[in-house]
Amino acid sequence: MSDKVQKIQEITGAKALVKLLKTKKVDTIFGYPGGANLPIYEELRKSGINHILSRHEQGAIHMADGYARVKKKPGVCLATSGPGATNLVTGLANAMLDSVPIVALTGQIPSNMIGTDAFQEVDCINITMPVTKHNELVLHAEDLVPAIKSAFHIANSGRKGPVLLDFPKDVLNKKFAHNFQSEINLPGYNPTIKGNVGQIKRAIKTLKKAKQPVVLFGGGIYLSNAINEFLKFIRLAQIPVVRTLMGTGIIAEDDPLYIGMIGTHGNTIANRVVNKEADVVFAIGTRLGDRSIMKTHLFAKNAKIIHLDIDPAEIGKTIPIDIPIVGDIKEVLADVIQRLEEKNLGLETPWKINNNKRTLLSIRDAAPVMQTIFNELSNIDQNIHVSTDVGRHQMWANHYCTNPKHLPLITSGGLGTMGFGLPAAIGAWFADPDTPVVSLSGDGSFMMNMQEFIVAVENQIPLTVIILNDYRLGMIRELQTSFYNGHYTTHNFSEHVSFTKFAEAMGGKGFDVKSTEKIGSTIRKAVQSRVPTIIDFDLENISKSALLSLNSVAS
Amino acid sequence: MDQHQTITLEVEDKPGVLSRISTLFSRRGYNIESLTVGHTHIPGISRFTIVVTGDEAILEQIRKQSQKLIHVLKTENLDKSQAVMREFAIVKLKYSGEHIPKINELVDLYGARMLDSRNEVLIVEFSGTEEKIEMVFNDLKQFKVLESIRTGKLAMRTGQ
Repeated sequence: MSDKVQKIQEITGAKALVKLLKTKKVDTIFGYPGGANLPIYEELRKSGINHILSRHEQGAIHMADGYARVKKKPGVCLATSGPGATNLVTGLANAMLDSVPIVALTGQIPSNMIGTDAFQEVDCINITMPVTKHNELVLHAEDLVPAIKSAFHIANSGRKGPVLLDFPKDVLNKKFAHNFQSEINLPGYNPTIKGNVGQIKRAIKTLKKAKQPVVLFGGGIYLSNAINEFLKFIRLAQIPVVRTLMGTGIIAEDDPLYIGMIGTHGNTIANRVVNKEADVVFAIGTRLGDRSIMKTHLFAKNAKIIHLDIDPAEIGKTIPIDIPIVGDIKEVLADVIQRLEEKNLGLETPWKINNNKRTLLSIRDAAPVMQTIFNELSNIDQNIHVSTDVGRHQMWANHYCTNPKHLPLITSGGLGTMGFGLPAAIGAWFADPDTPVVSLSGDGSFMMNMQEFIVAVENQIPLTVIILNDYRLGMIRELQTSFYNGHYTTHNFSEHVSFTKFAEAMGGKGFDVKSTEKIGSTIRKAVQSRVPTIIDFDLENISKSALLSLNSVAS
Repeated sequence: MDQHQTITLEVEDKPGVLSRISTLFSRRGYNIESLTVGHTHIPGISRFTIVVTGDEAILEQIRKQSQKLIHVLKTENLDKSQAVMREFAIVKLKYSGEHIPKINELVDLYGARMLDSRNEVLIVEFSGTEEKIEMVFNDLKQFKVLESIRTGKLAMRTGQ
C-alpha cells in the first residue's frame, strides 16, 4: 500500500462542464461565442463534441429544439452573457410551450461584478425564469456538477422542457476538485408516472358505457414515446380519434378510425364530432390549448371529459375535467390495454362518422396552390424531416403533408414562432444526418432567421427550403379580411426579395417556380441534391398558370 | 367567484424561490395581499403563507403551477375551518400621561406586549387572528400612530 492519498484532481469549471456533457453523451452543441463563455469554447475545442456555429443565438436554440425533437433527447445550446442570453429567450419560450427538452448554457460576467451593470450583463436568471422549466445561476464551483446533472434530468423527464444554466466566467475558470460522483438531490421534483388505478378504472367504465366516444390526442404521444400503445388502445377499443396540430403523423390520414384535426384551422367534421356528437371525449397528451378547443363553453358540451396528461397543472386549466388521470401516457395506456384485454372491452358497434375532409382553411389569395405543393412533396417516397414556420403555410402543411415518412411535422405549435422552421430543420439534420430535411416557410417567416441558411451550406446539409411566397404576411391579410373589414395594413412587402439570388450568394442553389408543371420536378430535384436549395414558389403566378392551363384544356 | 384564499408552500431555501413563486401571481395580474416566509424547524426548509383574493379556479391553477417549481416541496390551500391562522403586528405610538390608562386597557384586552418605551414613544406588539388585528388597528385610531407593520397571515393545518 502506498502512503500517498489519491488526491482528486483540480480542474476548471469549464473543463468539468465539458467532461459532464460527454458523460451525458452530448455529441452536438449549437452555439455562439462571446467574452463570457470563451472558457467553455476553449474546452470544447479539445473535446470531440461537434460545435455548430449559428449566426444568431435564436438560430442556435431553434437548432437545439429541432435536434431534440428528432433525437428524442435534450438538445444543447450555448450563448454568451447579455445579448447572447436575451437572444435565447424566444427559443426558450418556444421549447417551453412545446415541451421540448433543451439544456441551454450561458456564460455570465464574473460573479464579483454581477449587479454592477457591467459590459454585456443582464439578469439572465430572472429574464428566463418564466420561459424555462427550471434555471440556475451556478455561483459556486461545488454546485456545478449537481447543477448540470439536474439540468439534464429535469429537461428530459416528467413534462419535458428547457432548463438554463448561467455560469459566471470566474466559476468556469476556477480550478476546483469537482466531485463527479455527487448525486442529484431534488426532493421537490417527483413527476407522476403511474396513473391512479381508481381513476383508470373509472375512465374505462365511462368509455365502456359511452355510445359515441372520441379520443382527442396531441403531441404528448410523441413526448412519451407512446405511439404503439396509443394505436393498440384505439384499435382494441375501436374508438374514433381526432388530433390537435401537434399530433401529425401518429395515425395515418386514411386510417378508418381517424376523423381529422380540431381547432380554428382544423376539419369541420372533427370539431363537430367533439363539440356536438360525442358523449365521452378522452383527451390524451394535449393541453387543450385555446386554438384547439376554441370556445370553452362549446367544447365537448355534450360529453364527459377524461384527461390523461403527465402535468397535473394541465388538468382543468382551460376546461373542467370529469375524470383526470395524471401520469405518463405510455405507462397509463399500457395499464389500460391490459385491463381492456382482461375484460375484452370493445365498443360493440363502433359509431359511424361521415368522413369528410373539409377544413376551416381560407382558400383566398391562391392558398390552394399550397395544397398542390404539399401533395407533390408528400409523393416523395423516402424519409424526410419536414419543419414548418408559422402562418398560412403551417396550417396547410398540417393538413396536406400526409406522408408518414415525413411526419411528425417539426412545428412551433404553442408559441407560433416565425423564423423557427429553417434552424429547426438544420438541427433535425444533425440529429439524423442520413435523412434529408425540408423547411417549409412563408416569405415573412423565412426572413426572420434567413441568416442560418449559411449553416446548411457550411455543413453541406441536404436541405430544401420551400418558400410559399405571397409577397406578404398572408395570415395577417387573412385576419384583416375576416376581422377588420378588409382594412389591409402593414402586411404587404413592397420590395420583393430574390430568394434564389440570396441562396446563390450564400453558396447554395435557388429555383424560382411560377407555374404548376414545375412544382413536382423542382421539389424532387432539390430533395435529392446534397446542396442546400431554396425554392421560391410564387403562389399568385402559379395559381394563374393553373387557371390558364385549365382554360386551354377547355377550349 | 373572487374570494380570499390562503395558500401555504413548503420550499427548499434556494436563491430565487421567492421570485419564482411571486411571478406566478403577477403574470396573472394578481395582487398578493400578504406573504410571509420564514425558516421551519428543518434546516434548509422554509415556509410561505400567501393570502390572495381572486378567482378560485385561477388560484388553484397558480397553486398547481407553484407545485411544479423544482424547489417547492408541498403546497396546500387552507381555510379557517381546518387551520389556525395568526397575524403579528408592532406599532409605534406617541403618547402623553393622560393616555396611559387607555393604553393599559388595550394591552390587557388584546394580550399585547410593551416592547419599548422612551420619550413618550411606545412600541407595542400584538398577535392574533386577522380579525383581531383589524380590531386593534381600529382601536388605535384614537392615538397618534407613528409607524406600524403587520406580518400578514401565518397559517398551519390543525391535527395531523
